[in-house]
Amino acid sequence: MRNESSVTMSSRDAILQRIRTELSDVTAAEPPPVSEVWPATGATSDAMIERFISELEAVQGEIVRCRSMDDARQKLADLMKESEWQSLGAAERPICHELTADLPAEQVAWAKEGWDPNEMARLSAGLVAAEWLLADTGSSVVVNETAEERLLCYLPPASVVVARVEQLREHMPAAWSEVARATAEADRRGEFVLITGPSRTADIEKILILGVHGPKRLVVLLID
Amino acid sequence: MSTENLHLEGAPFLPQQIRGLYEPDGSQATWDAAELSTKQNRSVTDAIPHWQEWRRAAEAVKEYAVANLDKLLVEFERNITARGAEVLWAETAEEANRMVIDIARRHNVRRVVKGKSMVTEEMELNRSFEAAGIRSIETDLGEYLVQLAKQRPTHIVTPALHLSAADVGRLFEEKLGEPFSEEHEHLTQIAREHLREEFLSAEMGMSGCNFAIADTGTLAIVENEGNVGLSTSTPPIHVATIGIEKVLPSIDYLPLFLQLLARVGTGQKLTSYTHLIHGNTPGKKLYVILLDNGRTKVLRDPAARKSLTCIRCGMCLNVCPVYRRAGGWAYGWVYPGPIGSIITPHLIGLDKAAVLPFASSLCGACSEVCPVRIDIPHQLVHLRKRAVDEPSPMNSVIDRITWKLWAWAMSGPRRYKLAMAAVRLGVRMAKYLPWHPGKLGAWTRGRELPEVPGPAFRSRMGRNNDQSK
Repeated sequence: MRNESSVTMSSRDAILQRIRTELSDVTAAEPPPVSEVWPATGATSDAMIERFISELEAVQGEIVRCRSMDDARQKLADLMKESEWQSLGAAERPICHELTADLPAEQVAWAKEGWDPNEMARLSAGLVAAEWLLADTGSSVVVNETAEERLLCYLPPASVVVARVEQLREHMPAAWSEVARATAEADRRGEFVLITGPSRTADIEKILILGVHGPKRLVVLLID
Repeated sequence: MSTENLHLEGAPFLPQQIRGLYEPDGSQATWDAAELSTKQNRSVTDAIPHWQEWRRAAEAVKEYAVANLDKLLVEFERNITARGAEVLWAETAEEANRMVIDIARRHNVRRVVKGKSMVTEEMELNRSFEAAGIRSIETDLGEYLVQLAKQRPTHIVTPALHLSAADVGRLFEEKLGEPFSEEHEHLTQIAREHLREEFLSAEMGMSGCNFAIADTGTLAIVENEGNVGLSTSTPPIHVATIGIEKVLPSIDYLPLFLQLLARVGTGQKLTSYTHLIHGNTPGKKLYVILLDNGRTKVLRDPAARKSLTCIRCGMCLNVCPVYRRAGGWAYGWVYPGPIGSIITPHLIGLDKAAVLPFASSLCGACSEVCPVRIDIPHQLVHLRKRAVDEPSPMNSVIDRITWKLWAWAMSGPRRYKLAMAAVRLGVRMAKYLPWHPGKLGAWTRGRELPEVPGPAFRSRMGRNNDQSK
């Protein structure tokens, strides 16, 4: 045991030294190749849309297809009315501004620094934009740069993700060179979150229940 | 290392749990849930034609990671520090606990919300929080339930596997003052409401990490409930506790591991939320604690290094007949099941945990399903050998005398005859002794006495020979 009063080596150094000593018998080797997890099949846009929709619905997500931004605005207004949503929190993104342009200003609350989470918890739904969509799992890859944007994905009881068809990728490997590049950027902060359906648990008797802590509903607005 | 809660005495498993080995309904909830998990997870993996290739690829990456652990840890530290995180290294659980409490005190933390982290169970962090007067709430539903019930988790992925809906209803009635319900939706809603309050008032959030990416300095964390998303973004501070073996060389490998883990861990293609946390979020503070806690000791034994490649999916538990029957608590420490049997002896010492590798029939179901192809049965046999060569409970004086007697009895025909006569006498006598003595009771309670054997083959042969003369 090291003598506490005369620490000559930090824990960091002690750990690293121990590792190096114990691994001294290991011969250096190249890192293994990155395996092809799924082959790229060059899926068409229509095929990807169809796949995305069926996978999303398989994980209890909802899809709203929109022919254009105008159509999307109308469908969002309808969705809010049907669901009786009074307030929509939204991430500051151009597509979110476009989408909510027709909504009364008091219905939309924009993510800002220092936004009180208690206030955010009272929102009816949170609107975020996906950077990429993964067709084979029905996933939306959302870029959250600030804490408030992160909370917008988890606090409100419903989550709306907006994206355009051209953001669809066949699967995770197909999107990964873009994702990896974005992750490696030196000034990248916050998180990427891959959202695949609403929040869920099976911790009680392995019975699936939605909306444990995160949103109970996930709606993806997919614009052509 | 705190050994207060260890119950690894000479006889296998906790005495209270031995019941489950011979009482058919002893642990039905565990059996059923483990069986269901196995079916669900296997159907998702069987659907992939190149599943075995995935396993081999993952094995190679993890082996490389363990073989280059020091370089990768340094790279990870450098890259995540460049993203605003503060990285701390802890050799022992005690040191890690001190660091967490120190961070909490410095930031005047009174309430902590915890995402699931097996490493913090090793540390028994909640006890340290309690001692420091800091309120710490587990937010993963299963962990929340066992925390309320003041029990230890029974499974590394579904901690409350052993609780029925009725058990949960009673728990909420007793601890939260909620009217009794067995309805899953309602019970979950109760937990959601209570935990919301905790999320919104906590000053510190904690998480583990599934993969610590060295080349980009990223924390990859998977979850379904959203509690990790909330725990790490509502409070001003995020503390991530990570076992040093969790480091992955590059983000390029993540698609493989994310899809592997989701399938074997929870039978999903991907979990509801997969977080890639890029260091510190502006306005918040991120601490990363890298914990050794005996993992470097595993490196000393080349045959055991593979046990550090585990990605904590829990699949080996689900398929293990011993785990299903005896339940998670029987393993005496944080990690149950086959993986527990091969790492607990390393992390807390063979002298304390040597019995675990023997509690297996070596059926090999675990190694068939392990996503990183850990050769668990070989690891078990290797540890058994070490357990009889090194000081351990399997190497006690009684053991050594017993084996010496057995060797004596087997080493000559007359000795053998004498020994067998003694056995026949013993069986005849045992009929008159209806009690189950002490530790032997674990063995005798579940068995019928054999019939007294008839004349030995040798004596019958002798008689035949006489008759034929």
